[in-house]
Amino acid sequence: MEFEAVIGLEIHIELNCATKLFCDCPNNPGDEPNVNTCPVCLWFPGASPRLSRAALEKAALLCLGLNAEIQPVSAFDQKVYYYPDLPKGYQLSQAHLPLSKGGWLDITDEDGSAKRLRIHHIHMEEDVAKLVHEMEGRKPVSLVDFNRAGAPLVEIVTEPDFRTPHHAMEFLKALRAQVRNVGSSECSMENGTMRADANISIRTKGTSQMNTKVEVKNMNSVRHVGDAIAYEISRQSAAAQAGEKIVLHTRLWDPEKKVTTPMRAKFEGPCVPDPCVPVIKLSKKEIEELRARLPEMPAVRAERFIKQYGLAAEEASYLSADAEIAVYFENLIKEGVAPRAAMHWLTTQLMPAAKDRNQELSQAKVTPARLAALLKMLARDEINANAAREVLAHLFASDESPEAIVSAKGFKQVSDRGEIDSLIDKVLADQPGAVADFKNGQGKALGFLIGQAMQASGGKANPKVIREILTKKLEALCKA
Amino acid sequence: MDSVFFYRNNIKAASRSGALQKIKIALQPNISVAGWPTEAGSNALAGFKALENATVAEHAVKAGAQLIGYTRMSEFGFGLKNSMAGSALQKKAADVELVLDLAGEARLAALRAGVCGFKPSYGLVSRFGLAGLIPSMEAISILSMNIKNIRGILQAVAGADERDSSMPEEKTPDLKPTKIDPKKTTLGVIKENLSEMPANERESFDRKLNEFKKAGFSVKELPFPDFSQFLAVHQIVGSVEASSCAGRYDSVRYGKREPQAKNWNEMYLSSRGAAFGKLLKSYLIQGAYFQFESYAAYENACRLRARLVAQMKNLTAQADFIIIPAVNQAASENPATLAETYTQFIYTAFANVTGQPVLFLPDKSGAGFQFTAARLGDGQLLSLGEYLQGGGEK
Repeated sequence: MEFEAVIGLEIHIELNCATKLFCDCPNNPGDEPNVNTCPVCLWFPGASPRLSRAALEKAALLCLGLNAEIQPVSAFDQKVYYYPDLPKGYQLSQAHLPLSKGGWLDITDEDGSAKRLRIHHIHMEEDVAKLVHEMEGRKPVSLVDFNRAGAPLVEIVTEPDFRTPHHAMEFLKALRAQVRNVGSSECSMENGTMRADANISIRTKGTSQMNTKVEVKNMNSVRHVGDAIAYEISRQSAAAQAGEKIVLHTRLWDPEKKVTTPMRAKFEGPCVPDPCVPVIKLSKKEIEELRARLPEMPAVRAERFIKQYGLAAEEASYLSADAEIAVYFENLIKEGVAPRAAMHWLTTQLMPAAKDRNQELSQAKVTPARLAALLKMLARDEINANAAREVLAHLFASDESPEAIVSAKGFKQVSDRGEIDSLIDKVLADQPGAVADFKNGQGKALGFLIGQAMQASGGKANPKVIREILTKKLEALCKA
Repeated sequence: MDSVFFYRNNIKAASRSGALQKIKIALQPNISVAGWPTEAGSNALAGFKALENATVAEHAVKAGAQLIGYTRMSEFGFGLKNSMAGSALQKKAADVELVLDLAGEARLAALRAGVCGFKPSYGLVSRFGLAGLIPSMEAISILSMNIKNIRGILQAVAGADERDSSMPEEKTPDLKPTKIDPKKTTLGVIKENLSEMPANERESFDRKLNEFKKAGFSVKELPFPDFSQFLAVHQIVGSVEASSCAGRYDSVRYGKREPQAKNWNEMYLSSRGAAFGKLLKSYLIQGAYFQFESYAAYENACRLRARLVAQMKNLTAQADFIIIPAVNQAASENPATLAETYTQFIYTAFANVTGQPVLFLPDKSGAGFQFTAARLGDGQLLSLGEYLQGGGEK
């Protein structure tokens, strides 16, 4: 019996708003515990929530960026349950009237075909406080930090269109890129600004019924999501083959043991319309004004890169997918770097180097201006490519300008033709065997001799000039 | 121990100026005043001191009024058990009392004390700083012997407040006194109220109506067969909102925490168990029941509420004012249970469900009557009161 998996995702995204959802407290979870609190987010008696317009707009832009339909009327509900990280005994969420319905993202399936993964709805909700469990001597205590309580979140609930771990992983990557492009969140699973849960069920291949699903949580990276889904599919398939019934429950992914284990069921509270937060009404005009504020979407940007910079389709697509990369790329060009050089150095040198040092492109010490200065020196033949790569490493370590580093480390390329000429004469004299090989038609000897000349110059000579002069001299020798 | 006051403010303001400079106000301790023990009559807030003024208190002080203290109140204002609302007026210790009206408590307290009681339109007065219980129905109400005082307070405290976004976005109505001409005024009376009254009550009510007719008012009978549904709607929706509203009293961030709990769950159960009295607990548990076990009934109550609001709007379009009895003679003197408490409110709960303003006027007979108008008709309603008391614009 062959099974197919039916998977849906529920993704929580923390909006990068300056303040919380219902009060003016700063939205900085990393600050000292409990400094970003007030009577509203601590829910003192007499407190009154005030919906942040900025948060509403960031959420709406996110919805528009995912092709969703903003609802003209949406409202907050009270999701009632009790836990110390929930200051008022209910979480303000949107169960009945979400901010948007529909939406989709397109990915490339494993066979190269395009696949559209649909979104059911997107709603706003507030985050809860953070609990820290410690020991006070021999007594276990729990500490509550309310900095995060009331922070603005959106929850994206997809349709059960996913069939494989690949679909889920690609969707999350596309979602991250799109939301970062819109500018509503950093969407980092590592930092907790994007969290994903999966609902997985299986059915006999070829049928269309929806069977009992299992919810899987605690997947802290895109990789984990893929692994957990793969494991759960095989677990459920084995259970079904053995005639066991799949029961609705929640499981946690264990990244060490690489298995899912059942967890105690979370109590699902009722959702009652909230009488304090006014109903949200967005007119057609307001929605269109928001749509006009969407930044350039990757597909449009890729087209522009092809036209404006003469890039190939694949190159343009790669550079335009992530807003951070695209912005850095265009800043390099603004500083006077040629598009192809900018693309090459950004993707093959800078990005891997930044990743190794755990730096985000936009935060990296190597700003577009500094890298551009380096690449312009390269373009002027003042240094060679090897030297440029070494200088790049130094740019990460220090604040000095590329020019200063080149001077200090003696990376300046020797292009003086006279110097190189005498150097080459010496090399030719020292390598009669290679000269003979060249005369006999072995082209590889040229490369060898160039290498020798480079070595003799201590790596400083301009390889283009070496090649030019060496080639001339060898040809002259051949004629002689 | 003071039987009327829970807290007295002994700090006399240096000099007061403004429209309310001659007015002394007694408040219930669910209206925040910075530094005062805003305990709302409940163990849940024992020892709690407000951090800042409620908007209502702020406006009153800015207009020159003197806040003289907190009166004893029922737990969160629900029902009248342990409430001394109205007594400060009887003792002439205050000119005005601010009393919360959830289902009719402020109006029944006015009746008990023989003073006027006014529940403003919902959303006209800010609830910022009110430690309330039923967000969509509660209204800070004004008791006084003198309607002129009531109007003065309302003018000082009514109006939009950016700190309370639950107030509907609308223009604040004109609250200046207007002339009442009985010959041009229609008084409505709800047919079902009349037919369901016991004989002696009906007699005194008819006498009252005749007085109005003699004075020149047109009196019109209006049918409202669903009027009796107001109480059930209030009980279901009110208890659901109360259950959520009281969810914050968990002893985690403030309030008294019971010691010896082994884990958070035990802490919640023992602290919340000790925080609330029996009557309020019944109300909260009933609300939780509808939320968790009988949500469909709650949804039906919400739908019914919308229908009742529309029906009442229809009625207030057919008469300038509607007169409604205040007291349910059959209600228990000292209600102990939730059901007994609610029977007190059969004539008053409607206004909390619809959000319309009500003026209670005491009567020589000791009963007294409620007058209501369309929502935001507060100014005209007070003018009727002034007219009936012999004052008002000529």
